[in-house]
Amino acid sequence: MVEIRNLTKYYGNHPAVKDISFTVGDHEVLGFLGPNGAGKSTTMNMITGCLPSTSGTVLVDGHDIAKEPIKVKRLIGYLPELPPVYPEMRVREYLLFAAGLKGVPRSERKKQVEDAMRRLSITDVQKRVIGNLSKGYRQRVGFAQALLGSPKFLILDEPTVGLDPKQVMEVRSLIKDLAHDHTIIFSTHILAEVTAVCERVVIINKGQIRAEDTIRNLESRVSGVIRLCIKAEGEMTKVSGVIRSVDGVQDIEEVVPDDEPGVCTYTVRVAEESIRKPLVAALVAADCMVLEISVKRSSLEDVFVRLTSSSSASGEADELAEIRRELDAERRAAKDRKEDGN
Amino acid sequence: MFALYKKEVRSYFCTPFAYIISALFLMVFSLSFIRSISDMDSSTLRFQFPAVFYNNFFYFIFLIPLLTMRTFAEERKSHTETLWLSAPIRVWQVVLAKYLAVVTVFALMLVLSLIYPIIAYVKGTVITSGLICGYAGFILWSLVCIAVGVLCSALTDSPILAAVFGEAAMIIIAFLDSFSQTQLIQSMPKVSSVMLWFSTQHRFAAFAQGFFSISDLVFFVSLSAVVLAWIVIVIEKRRWSRG
Repeated sequence: MVEIRNLTKYYGNHPAVKDISFTVGDHEVLGFLGPNGAGKSTTMNMITGCLPSTSGTVLVDGHDIAKEPIKVKRLIGYLPELPPVYPEMRVREYLLFAAGLKGVPRSERKKQVEDAMRRLSITDVQKRVIGNLSKGYRQRVGFAQALLGSPKFLILDEPTVGLDPKQVMEVRSLIKDLAHDHTIIFSTHILAEVTAVCERVVIINKGQIRAEDTIRNLESRVSGVIRLCIKAEGEMTKVSGVIRSVDGVQDIEEVVPDDEPGVCTYTVRVAEESIRKPLVAALVAADCMVLEISVKRSSLEDVFVRLTSSSSASGEADELAEIRRELDAERRAAKDRKEDGN
Repeated sequence: MFALYKKEVRSYFCTPFAYIISALFLMVFSLSFIRSISDMDSSTLRFQFPAVFYNNFFYFIFLIPLLTMRTFAEERKSHTETLWLSAPIRVWQVVLAKYLAVVTVFALMLVLSLIYPIIAYVKGTVITSGLICGYAGFILWSLVCIAVGVLCSALTDSPILAAVFGEAAMIIIAFLDSFSQTQLIQSMPKVSSVMLWFSTQHRFAAFAQGFFSISDLVFFVSLSAVVLAWIVIVIEKRRWSRG
């Protein structure tokens, strides 16, 4: 278990990470999410002991990193943002060296290196000089390095950066696979990755935790609202009237005129998805042609954007509901303005 | 720690680096060797090395920073230091491993330079005790120089700057003797004696001429140890204040 308690890091007077606390349970995959410069790498560097914290503690399996660094470092495999590979070395030679550095007994080194290479599918480049490898391969060599010494915890700082889509998929499935016998904390600013791999997310912005929860909970907090996007042809007031007349439609939040004359896209808040059928039927009956209809779900993306773009810094996850209300109000105001314009 | 040491030594020989510097070193050594041979009195043919060693003392100043400049600066530049910062190894072990690796490479260069005494042996007589003493002085002086070079490398993230700083630092250390002998410093006997105590040139000269003294040996070894401790502090400090 990794426990992070009130971790703070100042660079001079500038706070990079302010008083963050969270816990990662065994065999858990925790996504550490935040925009660039949010303090992700700083936090990870502190968890791995590369960087001492200004205050606060990191406990790894009950051992304090500041007091027992060697013990803790043995438990952790770290892939930093830039893979720490020596360009003049060959892949295999580098991994054997890294294994030695991590104190893997001589008799096990070869086996572990081979395992790691197989897992990252870099066995066929093992004799090549790292400096001549592409960025994706270098990233994978760095990843293989983190697996050496069979650490209980894996800290991965943006492990999929620089990989092509196929490799990204491979790395994601590797992370899922590794989760069986490792605890993983990985940082990213790519949302799809979090949704694909983690159970729980910590969202951080400007050095503070903005939310910490499971993905499902985070989504459900904002996804009480279901929206339909309807592109329909016809006079705007008539179409709006028809849409409002259908049972279960709560509101029309936005009307955006299309390039095509007489066509508008309506964002409609509804109670249930099943309203689509009567809604289309009503529109067709009223002679309004429906060109497109789709369900728009609130996703983690919404949560992320709201949490990380908000400038207030109280760091409370419970702000979510309020944020949602704010957003609704904004949309209503925009709609009013538009209607006034019409 | 041994893994790091091995990797460091290897990285010198995997790149043309060590070879080119060895070649340069041998060239410099041979120049002063040839000069003293051509100056030699043909009636005795007893070859002494003090002059050769003494000349090389100054050439060192330009060679050793080239050898040490990459040790820490390069790691910082290419962000590879996270590898050993996150590994279960202490900073002093890293410093020692890197230091010993440079010392090893340098020792190998010195072994290559044995070719000159061997030639001298074959064609004449060499005063062996003087030769051993000269080499001992060489090694001791290089211990200090390498430590200073590595320190300069730990202070910056540019290998070129590290080399320049290293050269500057070594010139100051090497010429401390001459400074202490200037009239200005001589007028302050206390300052002069302190400077003289810290100066390395006269100690090296003693070794080069065949005087082996324990106090000088202790001086060189402890000075290197102090500089090494300083490197550890520099790295730890940077770790704390990095931003």
